[in-house]
Amino acid sequence: MIEVDGLRKQYGDLVAVDGVGFSAGEGKIFGLLGPNGAGKSTTISCMSGLLTPTDGRVRIMGHDIVHEPRAAKQQLGVVPQELALYEDLSARDNLTYWAAAYGLSGTGLRDRVDSVLEYVGLLDRASDPPKAYSGGMKRRLNFACGVVHEPKVLLLDEPTAGVDPQSRARLLDLVRAQAAKGTSVLYTTHYMEEAQELCDSLAIIDHGKLIAMGTLAELRAMVGERDLVRVVGHFDPERIRPALAELPDSEVLTADQDSVMLAVKGAALQLPAVLQALAAAGGHLRETTFTEPSLETLFMKLTGRELRE
Amino acid sequence: MRFLIASVVKDLKWRLADPMALALWVGIPLIIGTLVGLATGGGGGSGTLKAKLLVVDQDETLAAQLLMGAFSQGQLAEMFDVEEVDLASGEIRMDNGDASAMLVIPADLATAVLSEEPAVLRLVTNPAQRILPGIVEQVLEVLVEGTFYLQRLFGEQLRMMTEELPQGESMPGDAAVADIATQINRAMSGLEGTLFPPVILLETVVDRPETEAFNFALLFFPGMMFMSLIFVAQGLSEDLWNERKQGTLRRVAVSPAPLAVFLGGKVLTAAVLMAGASLVGMLLAVVLIDVELSRLPLAVAWSTLGGLSMLCMFMLLQLLATSQRGGGLLVSVVMFPLLMIGGSFFPSEAMPGWMAMIGGWTPNGLTVEQLKMVMAFDYQWGELGRSAAALAVGAAALVSLVWWRLRTFAVQ
Repeated sequence: MIEVDGLRKQYGDLVAVDGVGFSAGEGKIFGLLGPNGAGKSTTISCMSGLLTPTDGRVRIMGHDIVHEPRAAKQQLGVVPQELALYEDLSARDNLTYWAAAYGLSGTGLRDRVDSVLEYVGLLDRASDPPKAYSGGMKRRLNFACGVVHEPKVLLLDEPTAGVDPQSRARLLDLVRAQAAKGTSVLYTTHYMEEAQELCDSLAIIDHGKLIAMGTLAELRAMVGERDLVRVVGHFDPERIRPALAELPDSEVLTADQDSVMLAVKGAALQLPAVLQALAAAGGHLRETTFTEPSLETLFMKLTGRELRE
Repeated sequence: MRFLIASVVKDLKWRLADPMALALWVGIPLIIGTLVGLATGGGGGSGTLKAKLLVVDQDETLAAQLLMGAFSQGQLAEMFDVEEVDLASGEIRMDNGDASAMLVIPADLATAVLSEEPAVLRLVTNPAQRILPGIVEQVLEVLVEGTFYLQRLFGEQLRMMTEELPQGESMPGDAAVADIATQINRAMSGLEGTLFPPVILLETVVDRPETEAFNFALLFFPGMMFMSLIFVAQGLSEDLWNERKQGTLRRVAVSPAPLAVFLGGKVLTAAVLMAGASLVGMLLAVVLIDVELSRLPLAVAWSTLGGLSMLCMFMLLQLLATSQRGGGLLVSVVMFPLLMIGGSFFPSEAMPGWMAMIGGWTPNGLTVEQLKMVMAFDYQWGELGRSAAALAVGAAALVSLVWWRLRTFAVQ
């Protein structure tokens, strides 16, 4: 069980995380989406005890991470964004060390290490050092190091960043398998598809604040059935807004000199009317794209920016 | 405890995965030592170092000349550079550390010897040096003892040499010499049963070769061997940056394992590696320069303690830097002057006194000086214990600061 309530982290005048709160129950995967620099990693650092929150509370299986750090950390597994491995030691030595850090020893430790190696598909390469592994294999070992002690709560900080599609699919399977065992999972990513595919519930974070939260269905409902249309060119925002307001089932999300973004129901049919209205308002069009409703469109609707910007 | 052992095992495996680095840590000092030895005229043969002995002759008699001459004859001449000075300039030079010792011969020495009265020879030694002043003291003790027996056996004849000296003559006349010789011969005949075999004289002679056989490699070797341990400390101190760079330090920080235990594992690993390196060095010393095997365990333990104190200092310097490169540079900037004044490049006996004095206050200088005593001389348990306590307390204070800094270093 993960409980985050009013989490805030401030560095001088910079507020990296501002009043973030959510929870994830047993066997559930909670996704935290946001662009780079939105506050995802800072949230995970506060949750894992690396950083002390300026305000708010984080509880891991009922243990406060600030006041009962050892008890909370004992239940916690963390898979960091960057690889955290001893490249010169074998995979088995790596896992043995991290298992010992969580108090495992003796036969139990050895059995658990073998089991995890098999689980991530590295048993036949257990004696090799990670420096001899492919990128995907390293990612799997990195994941294995985070779950070798069978944590009740698992924090994954963009574990698939820079991973090939095949390894990514395998990692996502591993995450699902953890949740199936009853582990509460927090999964941060800026890949919308992953979040949509994996998470039971989600929150979107931007500039340190949660701007939307709910199940996938709830978030999709926030977007509605409207597609997202983006037109790039040269525009006069003062003339564009009234011109587009006359179109049925449409809403201007953003409009500036270089681009216009609007939500339109049935964009494929309405697109000629949209383009005509823009041209009539003195706009010079260079590029047009439209996207079906998704978390991406929700993020664009909420922030006016693309998630990967 | 399990995590401590796991940390030591992990760090040892990590280090042994790069045996070349280990070989370089131990090998480089030996190469430097060899080069220094060659540059200074041989790697530790006798005669490479001389004890500068200042003599203040306030007596200015034949007895005083004989005493001074004893340091300038035979093989002692290879060990001592005797210079006669007046008291004021001698004291100034001793204050400046320009000499190993200053001998003050009192004005009444000859009279005291002849009249069998007590006289006090004052020997001022250089506290920044340990070995050479000790040799001066030992030689002087032998000379004083010899003078005592001479005084007891031939005191009457010696008095005749001075009392029967004609006015204005520096040497007695032929008749007086013949008379004195006859009396000495009779005295010798009377003592034949005691002196032949001449036990006392033979004892004195046996005592001297021990000094003459003093191996100057013993002055160089401890410094060189400890330099290996300092290089080990330098290399291991970078581990904290390596752990951070590869993300493993953060992983430790998010685990329930205390960072203090993680740090303790680093220190214990260093102790194992340093003990191994110093064991190799000491075995070399046993084989090459005849250090007694029985001195090996204490020498290994002592040098390991000194090495750990250096490691703690270097780790703190690493953590104070803002980058790994900066940390390495900072450690080098501190390490090489310490090596220089702490007796690793040149023994303190070959340094100016002020430098040797400062070096003695550095952790490596303190370690090297005591290591010399442990390896080859009569070390004092009390002094060794005090030095060990100073090193241990210093290391504990430093490692506490490292732990304090590590907590923020781990999450940066």
